[in-house]
Amino acid sequence: MVDITETLDCKGDVCPYPDVKSKRKVKKMKSGEVLKILIDYPLSAERIPETMKSLGHEVLSVEKEGTASWIILVKIK
Amino acid sequence: MADIITVLILGISIGMVFGFILQRGRFCMNSAFRDIILLKEYKLMKGVLLAIAVSMIGFSIFILGGILAANPKPFTVLGSIIGGFIFGIGMVLASGCASGTTYRVGEGMIGSLVALVGLGLGAYLTKFSILSIVSGSLITPMADPVTGGGLRIAGDATPIVMFIIGIIIIGIFSYTNLLPYLKERKEKNEPILDFTDMKTKIFNTSYPWWVSGIAIGILNCVAWISSAAAGRNYPMGITAGWLGWLSFLLTWNITAFNWLVFMVVGVILGAFIAAIISKEFKIRIPKEPKTLLIQLLGGFLMGFGAVTAAGCNIGNFLSGIPMGSVGSLVVGIFIIIGCWAMTYIMFMRD
Repeated sequence: MVDITETLDCKGDVCPYPDVKSKRKVKKMKSGEVLKILIDYPLSAERIPETMKSLGHEVLSVEKEGTASWIILVKIK
Repeated sequence: MADIITVLILGISIGMVFGFILQRGRFCMNSAFRDIILLKEYKLMKGVLLAIAVSMIGFSIFILGGILAANPKPFTVLGSIIGGFIFGIGMVLASGCASGTTYRVGEGMIGSLVALVGLGLGAYLTKFSILSIVSGSLITPMADPVTGGGLRIAGDATPIVMFIIGIIIIGIFSYTNLLPYLKERKEKNEPILDFTDMKTKIFNTSYPWWVSGIAIGILNCVAWISSAAAGRNYPMGITAGWLGWLSFLLTWNITAFNWLVFMVVGVILGAFIAAIISKEFKIRIPKEPKTLLIQLLGGFLMGFGAVTAAGCNIGNFLSGIPMGSVGSLVVGIFIIIGCWAMTYIMFMRD
């Protein structure tokens, strides 16, 4: 079980808000911390993990929960 | 003119396929242009370019073969520049271009529904009511000296030029993307095309950019034939379709119904079906009420821009540019400039 440092709720947001919010959030977090992103917008749910990887962070998991709902766990580098 | 049932079937079926591909490909031009500067992400843009290239080749064959007559949009200098720029600003505020906003309604996004209402109102007021004074003062068409229609980049030689440009674009993509892919497949000893599990690929996974690009390009060519058969000589569009609905609701005059009016409804239906099958349909409402107001305003600006520029992103990028319309090219450039300006203001200043 991973310890979640912070949770970012992007439910209801359309792009690019989830992308921009999560990018700004990880900037403020410290190395080793884990961010949990709740999201229900398909394009961003597919793209945020890619963006996080390109920023050098580790994507721990991407899980689809029920209908149009994803949980992304990111570990800050 | 074909009877109304034929027009309905032709329009709605093309729209449904379009909406399905848009939803599966997450194909939105606002995201495509915006993410070039915001996320340094080019996949959707490559898909847009590929769709344009396929349309260029298809349209040129239709025109050169005498199957359909070119019908490029007019170039109105100020109308094209200002309309395009305002449309670009509007789509960032609305979080979606005209087609992106339409298909997301089918996914259950309430913000997009609000933006769509704004789009219809903005377009209606600009076309038929108070705002027509503003847009009318900007529209003085420059006609093609030869045909008297919309100005084209190379006059009568335009279809040949477009055909060549289309081939070049596809050639470049083949070199940069297809060739490395084929090499990789060969090294791994895998078949070039994997047709296993097609059901999952079509209905449950999202499409890679090249699949949506090629599919939309081909559909756009079929759409032109379908639309022409219904008495409307133009490929796909979006804004004029919603304008038609608003005209009908306000006047109850059924002359507002044409191929496009049914096509846009098909887009919502197609996206709805795609979202239901892939378990992505959900009613989603933005948390902050402010967001809804911004999306309404964005839609309104898109409506104004689209009428002033003689078309939205689909009518200009997907249909006008492949026909070689100078107007569409200028509108396209200014849509991108407007999009980038607003993206910078909203998301890139920290």
